[in-house]
Amino acid sequence: MTEPDIATPPPLTDMRRKVLINFGLFGIFFLFYIGAAVLQTPEFKALASLSVMGMPLGLFLSLLIFPLSWVLMIIWFRKAC
Amino acid sequence: MLIMGDNILVVGFILFFVVASIVITWWTSRSNKSTSDFYVAGKGVPWIQVGIAMIGSYLSAASFLGCAGDIGVFGIDSIWLSIGFFGGYMAVLLLIAGPLRNVGTFTVAGALYRRFPDGTIKLAIMLCTVIISTFYLVPQMIGAGVLFHMLLNWDFVAVTIGLGLLMSIYIIFGGMKSTLYNQVIQALFLWVTMVVLVLIAFFTVGQGSLGSILEAAHQTVPPMLAAKNAAVVEAIRALPADQAIATARQMMPDAESAMSIGVKTSSSLAMISTVIALVFGTAGLPHILIMFFTVPSARAAKKSVALCMVALGIFYLCAILLGFLLFPGIYPKLVVWISEGATGIGMAKNMAVLEISQIVGGPWLMAIGAAGAVAAILSTAAGLMITVASTISHDLYMVYINPQATDKQEMTIAKITTLVMSAVAVVLAVLLRDNNIAWLVMLAFSIAASAIFPAMLATLWWKRATRQAIIASIFTGLGVSVVFIVLLLSNVSSFLGLPTAGGPGVFGVTASFLVLYLVSIMTSDTGKDAEKFLALAHKPDED
Repeated sequence: MTEPDIATPPPLTDMRRKVLINFGLFGIFFLFYIGAAVLQTPEFKALASLSVMGMPLGLFLSLLIFPLSWVLMIIWFRKAC
Repeated sequence: MLIMGDNILVVGFILFFVVASIVITWWTSRSNKSTSDFYVAGKGVPWIQVGIAMIGSYLSAASFLGCAGDIGVFGIDSIWLSIGFFGGYMAVLLLIAGPLRNVGTFTVAGALYRRFPDGTIKLAIMLCTVIISTFYLVPQMIGAGVLFHMLLNWDFVAVTIGLGLLMSIYIIFGGMKSTLYNQVIQALFLWVTMVVLVLIAFFTVGQGSLGSILEAAHQTVPPMLAAKNAAVVEAIRALPADQAIATARQMMPDAESAMSIGVKTSSSLAMISTVIALVFGTAGLPHILIMFFTVPSARAAKKSVALCMVALGIFYLCAILLGFLLFPGIYPKLVVWISEGATGIGMAKNMAVLEISQIVGGPWLMAIGAAGAVAAILSTAAGLMITVASTISHDLYMVYINPQATDKQEMTIAKITTLVMSAVAVVLAVLLRDNNIAWLVMLAFSIAASAIFPAMLATLWWKRATRQAIIASIFTGLGVSVVFIVLLLSNVSSFLGLPTAGGPGVFGVTASFLVLYLVSIMTSDTGKDAEKFLALAHKPDED
């Protein structure tokens, strides 16, 4: 079996595939982003204060947004472009 | 006050930017022949250049000075200012950049108009563009005026007029090409300054250890809290930063630390509202979106956003680290500033970065830092001004006033608009200089998120979106944003059970999407050949 040709997908599925990849990756980013933001609020203070790699969990997850974005960006360039 | 008198280094660096702007304008003006050259630099600018210019357009003084400064005042709660500013680019990259480049010509309104040839849509987006850009531009002008006054004791009005004139000159004579070149120089200077400053501060006041920086933050009573205790302010006033941190902690043993959540953030809903405005607002900022029209293809547009995201990520990570470095660097100064009231809080937020530059790098680094702030202001303000000039001449004049206008007439209107916009910004800056104008920026992001982003997303991706729904969603987003800002300015803390503290973001975006969906399923005008439009928007990339 051969790998599907990503560069030239069949026209009918092209748009659907694009929607899935673009909105899927954005959805992953957005959920993580909102989750980390909410964790960094007074309501979740106890959980956010747990120590992970020498820093509070809230700070750790907030900072993780930067590398996560870059990874999602690389995946997107490989899959969608 | 951090008045440096006639600091020759600061003046020298600022003079460099003024001269560079004029030389670039003179050089690029020779190749500006058509409206396409003026508005979008002939659509042939390399993606690397646009990517760097985009960094300059986006990084305002709020990013360079304010992100770190806010952490220095409130502690860890403020890290989300940096993360929020950064996060918006994911929406731009994944949802907007490519398709917008494929269907757009000169302005954001033009892209929507291509699918829905309805003057109301063009007028509504033009109105939003003018409001957003003005509300974003005025704080830049005020920031420049205040910065020069604090640093050099220069007259506020003279500085804002000078800034307005400088930008008018390089937009009128050089158009988008000149704006882009200037933004590239300013962005590179700004970015390198931030990285170098953080590296020096990290290995000096931070002792080269992330652990010791975080430990210092754990020990630190947030300056905003310490400043409320007069005895603490007096006790630490003349102490070195490390001793001041220990003394304040000794005197306020039960106080929260700079790593405690809740010093600034009030609730989850307020937080969500703020970050939603920042994420979706960035994806709706007209002065960022029009830059995609300057590159030759959708793939180039995506590459420029990708470059911008990597550089912005590093920049905002540096801003966060710098915020924490302010504690071991200038803690007593922060507390003393804040204890002086509202003006002092403003000083702490805006001058802390320059103060730490002076401490870790002496007058040279301080002068470079000040020039970096000026670069941030210039590059953002220029992007905003050319955006307004484009939309007034292309979306208002060409559609409603003189549809038969020639290229030359259109460009003349754009140049006149630049001058008028510059004058309006100067007048507003002078009138509002002593007011808290943070709400202007919040409103700009909220309107972009609520009024432009949903309409843009649906137009570019959803076949069932209708003309009526697009119009309704734009006005809903605009209306909700304005209502919330009125509530905020009237000190109303909640409305219909919803907190107003985080701004209108989540409410405006939700209402706008809801209206867009409901009106779309109730109406049927999906625009001029929706399928063809979407096929063009999502055509395969070409290099």
